[in-house]
Amino acid sequence: MIFQAVLSGIVMGCVYALIALSLVIIYKSTDVVNFAAGEFVMIAAYAGLLLLDHLSLNYALMVVLSVGLVFVLGAFFERTALNHIIGFRYAAEAALVPMVVATIGLSFMLKGAVRVIPATEEVLRLPPLFSGPPLFFGDLILQRQDLGIVGVAILVMVLLSVGFNLTATGKALRATSQNPRAAALIGIPVKRMRMMAWAVASGLAGISGILLGPKLLMTPDMGSVVMMGIAASIVGGFTSLIGCVVGGIVLGVVQNLVGIFISPQAIAVTPFFIIMVVLVVRPNGLFGEAMRLKKV
Amino acid sequence: MYAELRASELAGLLLIIAAGLALPQILPGYFLYTGNSLMTYAILAIGLDLLLGWSGQFAFAHIAFFGIGIYGTALLESRAEVPFLLSVAISAAVAGLVGIAIGFPAARLRTVYLALATYAFAECAQWVFRTWDPVTGGPDGLRFRPPVIFGYETGSDQSSFPVVALILALAIGAALYLTKSKLGRQMCAIRDSEHVATASGIDVRRTKVIAFAISAVFAGIAGGVYTLFQTFVNADVLGVSQLVTVLTMVVIGGSGSIIGVLLGVVVIGLLPELLRAMPQSLLVWQEFIYGSILVLAIVFMPQGLWGLIKPRFIRRTGGCGRTPAQSIRAPAEASQ
Amino acid sequence: MSAFFAIDDISVRFGGLKAIDHFSMEVRPGEIHALIGPNGAGKSTVFNCISRFCTPVEGRIRLDGQDILALPAHRIVASGIGRTFQNLELLKRMTVLENVLIGQHVHIPRYFFFGPSPKRKRTEAEAVKSAEAILEETNLAKYRDTPAGELDFGHQKLLDLARALAGRPRLLLLDEPAAGLRNREISFVDALLLKLARSHGLTIILVEHVMPLVMSVANKVTVLSFGQKIAEGTPAEIRRHPRVIEAYLGSEAHA
Repeated sequence: MIFQAVLSGIVMGCVYALIALSLVIIYKSTDVVNFAAGEFVMIAAYAGLLLLDHLSLNYALMVVLSVGLVFVLGAFFERTALNHIIGFRYAAEAALVPMVVATIGLSFMLKGAVRVIPATEEVLRLPPLFSGPPLFFGDLILQRQDLGIVGVAILVMVLLSVGFNLTATGKALRATSQNPRAAALIGIPVKRMRMMAWAVASGLAGISGILLGPKLLMTPDMGSVVMMGIAASIVGGFTSLIGCVVGGIVLGVVQNLVGIFISPQAIAVTPFFIIMVVLVVRPNGLFGEAMRLKKV
Repeated sequence: MYAELRASELAGLLLIIAAGLALPQILPGYFLYTGNSLMTYAILAIGLDLLLGWSGQFAFAHIAFFGIGIYGTALLESRAEVPFLLSVAISAAVAGLVGIAIGFPAARLRTVYLALATYAFAECAQWVFRTWDPVTGGPDGLRFRPPVIFGYETGSDQSSFPVVALILALAIGAALYLTKSKLGRQMCAIRDSEHVATASGIDVRRTKVIAFAISAVFAGIAGGVYTLFQTFVNADVLGVSQLVTVLTMVVIGGSGSIIGVLLGVVVIGLLPELLRAMPQSLLVWQEFIYGSILVLAIVFMPQGLWGLIKPRFIRRTGGCGRTPAQSIRAPAEASQ
Repeated sequence: MSAFFAIDDISVRFGGLKAIDHFSMEVRPGEIHALIGPNGAGKSTVFNCISRFCTPVEGRIRLDGQDILALPAHRIVASGIGRTFQNLELLKRMTVLENVLIGQHVHIPRYFFFGPSPKRKRTEAEAVKSAEAILEETNLAKYRDTPAGELDFGHQKLLDLARALAGRPRLLLLDEPAAGLRNREISFVDALLLKLARSHGLTIILVEHVMPLVMSVANKVTVLSFGQKIAEGTPAEIRRHPRVIEAYLGSEAHA
């Protein structure tokens, strides 16, 4: 019973990790928490359903288009709204609050827009990528979709790793997030890098949406899963990519264990409780770097 | 300048009280209900802006204190037969204490972490309101009787309107005096530069805690006011969307200015009515419209409506100077 | 004999870097004491220690016998130490008058904040009056109601100074008061510093790069290089000091 909970916790944890990665990539490049990340997840899921059901596209094409949609959406939002707020500044520091408020507004826009569509009133479900009979390991049951989720998550993390460490663009992105002014001075197009960071992060959220759509009940409010991502990234340390993965898995497992040992009702409040406790006790999480002090 | 209200401000407060007495005689019940809701939002929004705009603390626990105010007042009145004014005072004080408790750890956190931690707290509070059956009635909520204040029966929109208006006027008055005072300047100072504040002898952390407490008390009072014209509460009104609504009011109206905030309350508060009155009710678009307004306002009009209007009509006033060009965005870069 | 103000053998570490290495300095009452040295020598770090924005790993700092290092940063101004900031930290959204009122903050008694009262009226009136006096002294009176962020650079520096003066310090730390100013403004600062030292009975420690100011105003000069004191003496002595010239590579010391 416990092992089953741990197993499914790990699976969900992988999805949380993807959302957390999305959040942390944006945070590292612009110091902003993207409160609309959950809505990107939701949009991808609904878009996928639309493409599958109404346009009868094959699954692979649907994935590409749905993820591509939020990819573009994220880039567009950054390029228009956020870019306008940050203006000529290199570092987001002073304009941080308006940018975060803008992401809050965006999340409500997306949620509100989807809610208007009458079809979304009923709870929907996206067909899974991997279907078929579940796999059995002794007493443990594993759905094929779950295995697929872990596989996709691992693949994504490997690609991100390669991308950030081995490609020129990836290194440029890292440079921009560490020191935008210096990056600009050596010729890195900082504005474009920010947009790319948002695009990649949004794409990650989109992938999470495709993976979550079959597992969770699809409603316009399913974006609240962003809280899991936030909790995961805080546990891992808001600036660490590895932390996202560890944090996600920890969160997924803890959540299930809470459901067993405390009460199913308590599951809803677990991420919030964890966020509060971690930020008070150890704001750096497990792997995060200490917050830099401003020079006087 | 710092010791008294300006004539216009005093006039405004008297106008609110006068409207409180006069309007119930002329307007029908539904308008008065809307009015009561707007006035409650106003107290909430002013409290939020004291933290957000004046002290520069981007914190979202506000709605939890509103809940403490509502449940506290309702429970003290209906279960313990405590008179209304005392119930509100006690609940507001409890909210203030919780605000202090939150304030201490929160004061150590930087912008985004502060927002996240307080947001998480608000969600936890909503969960508590929703699941603590014996006290809050759980998901089914709490019903309560309308309070009787020194023999005056409230409960209908007509009878509660003047009381709400009076409390609003007092709240605005207190906020005005606060922002013009030494403490008000202290709050602005920690917003503008913690280094300068510290070097001037201000204990930044303590000031943040005080700001949290004051903001929480305002929210608690708003909660008490809620019990005057409502008869039921459950956790649904104490969630994120409510908080974002109040935030939108503050942003649209003009953060850092009490009149601005009131303007925002009116504009955003009346929006649903406007949508409802459209030939094909656009009410279902409410969420989308709020979100769009928030994004558009923060991108193009960060100083709020009041920030746009003020320079055309008003000279500079005292108290934590804010010119319209400045807002919750970065202050004007000095000509370097 | 215990000095009015003494820094006694302090060392400061940032991570693995030793920013200040066994530094000592004494200042007599009424003295204008300059602290100079090439960039990165640690001058602002010394100031930050005094105003308790950072803590030395060893050593002591005393003002008139009082142990400064025992105080938290927000009690420094009450002990009689004021400072200006190199990076021009100001309360940009508040008016010039309000900046000075904040400078004066600890000297303004408390009153009931949420309503009117006779004590409030009296207290605020007095506070505004003394703030205005300081604005007169620093030539800022006509900018009284201007938000600090809208002033030009030179006036912002004056405002920084006015704010520090409003705290009624006995010891004033000035962090590059002349940096970025035009010649006319430097002369004004020059004259103001001398006047303040004499009429307010202020003791001043001055971190500065602009040598003409240092030479004309300072009674004594201490030279820092790579966190260590390499020379100390009158301006004339320092000008000729071989180690000082070496540290500056012969550039500014010949001003």
